[in-house]
Amino acid sequence: MSSAAMTVVIGFEGSANKIGIGIIRDGEVLSNPRRTYITPPGQGFMPSDTARHHRAVILTVLKEALEQAGLKPADIDCVAYTKGPGMGAPLVTVALVARTVAQLWGKPLLGVNHCIGHIEMGRLITKANNPTVLYVSGGNTQVIAYSERRYRIFGETIDIAVGNCLDRFARVIKISNDPSPGYNIEQMAKKGSQYVELPYTVKGMDVSFSGILSYIEEAANKMLSSGQCTAEDLCFSLQETVFSMLVEITERAMAHCGSQEVLIVGGVGCNLRLQEMMGVMCQERGAKLFATDERFCIDNGAMIAQAGWEMFRSGQVTELEDSWITQRYRTDEVEVTWRD
Amino acid sequence: MSTDGETDHKTGKLEFSLDVPFPSSSEASIALRSLSPDREPRRGGISKRLTVTGNTLRWSADEARILRVSVNSFLDHLSLVLETMETFGPPVDSGI
Repeated sequence: MSSAAMTVVIGFEGSANKIGIGIIRDGEVLSNPRRTYITPPGQGFMPSDTARHHRAVILTVLKEALEQAGLKPADIDCVAYTKGPGMGAPLVTVALVARTVAQLWGKPLLGVNHCIGHIEMGRLITKANNPTVLYVSGGNTQVIAYSERRYRIFGETIDIAVGNCLDRFARVIKISNDPSPGYNIEQMAKKGSQYVELPYTVKGMDVSFSGILSYIEEAANKMLSSGQCTAEDLCFSLQETVFSMLVEITERAMAHCGSQEVLIVGGVGCNLRLQEMMGVMCQERGAKLFATDERFCIDNGAMIAQAGWEMFRSGQVTELEDSWITQRYRTDEVEVTWRD
Repeated sequence: MSTDGETDHKTGKLEFSLDVPFPSSSEASIALRSLSPDREPRRGGISKRLTVTGNTLRWSADEARILRVSVNSFLDHLSLVLETMETFGPPVDSGI
């Protein structure tokens, strides 16, 4: 391949309730359409229903991705898709289409780690040099730093993700899931005026959220019906508590690595209060904070395309027989061949 | 498409086979390679064999209890692969 040739990668993402397909050409996002499966208030999304949702729209979204980019299948160099981690049934649905079009179009296939998709998109958009990464979403909570060809996990949740804690609290107080429960908690939190003390659980480099969730699930009904506080107060207090925990473990990792940059990725990274709190800590340390907007924080196809672009350019390819999806896939399992 | 269900009286296991005709052998092969990589969610009790003979994709499984769920999933997946091939096919000629 000549150095003047451009590399175009299409990426397929559908590991949770978002189905997105994006096309990237040498760092330029040409298209990034996405659909979200939204459940009624009080309900979470189940694997088979989510897979059914993705199944119904995926081919339409794929056509949109090509049309919006103004490209034909022949223009694509590589088909990237999420190998894992995530929910099994939705992952399979998306992988089936990726495998099929890769064969129909005669293009190489690349299985991408979802977490690395977030990291590489964050690096591309923000141009952060070598940041400590806080990856926070409904399914994942990790503090990551790059070292010697691996994205090393410095700290993580020992039980549920911070986004999962927020989403499940939203169900208890029956907040709308449109556009996302986390977004609605954030809006309500802005109207909170009373801080309610909640359990704070940091364990060394790690965090735990299941305790705070069970506490607030039980306390919410009591406190709300007795008029002790409002739902807005609880949203505010929950955010302040869990976000403080995240800032603490991020700072700890920065101190270990001597890092002067923080990059927040993942759906919870859209939260402006989290960005604000992290910003305060960064300012105190003379560090820089990087974050992306909802187009790229929230699961999307272009982030898979971007990670795929890096992997493909450094010579990686996934054979069809090895293209099985996996619900568990650690960020540090991948050899980061595209960085020194 | 033709199907067959019978019980192997020696082992007591239920076998189900499904023959899916395709317009060409390359398309049968594409479907096979898309459908075979993922492992069954349940480790024990179900085994799936996908083979291509000419233009026909054959799928056979044994184990009665969760056979219906496995067959259902497979048919959903197969229909998605077929729809993808109808929408974005035919396959490019990969001959040099």
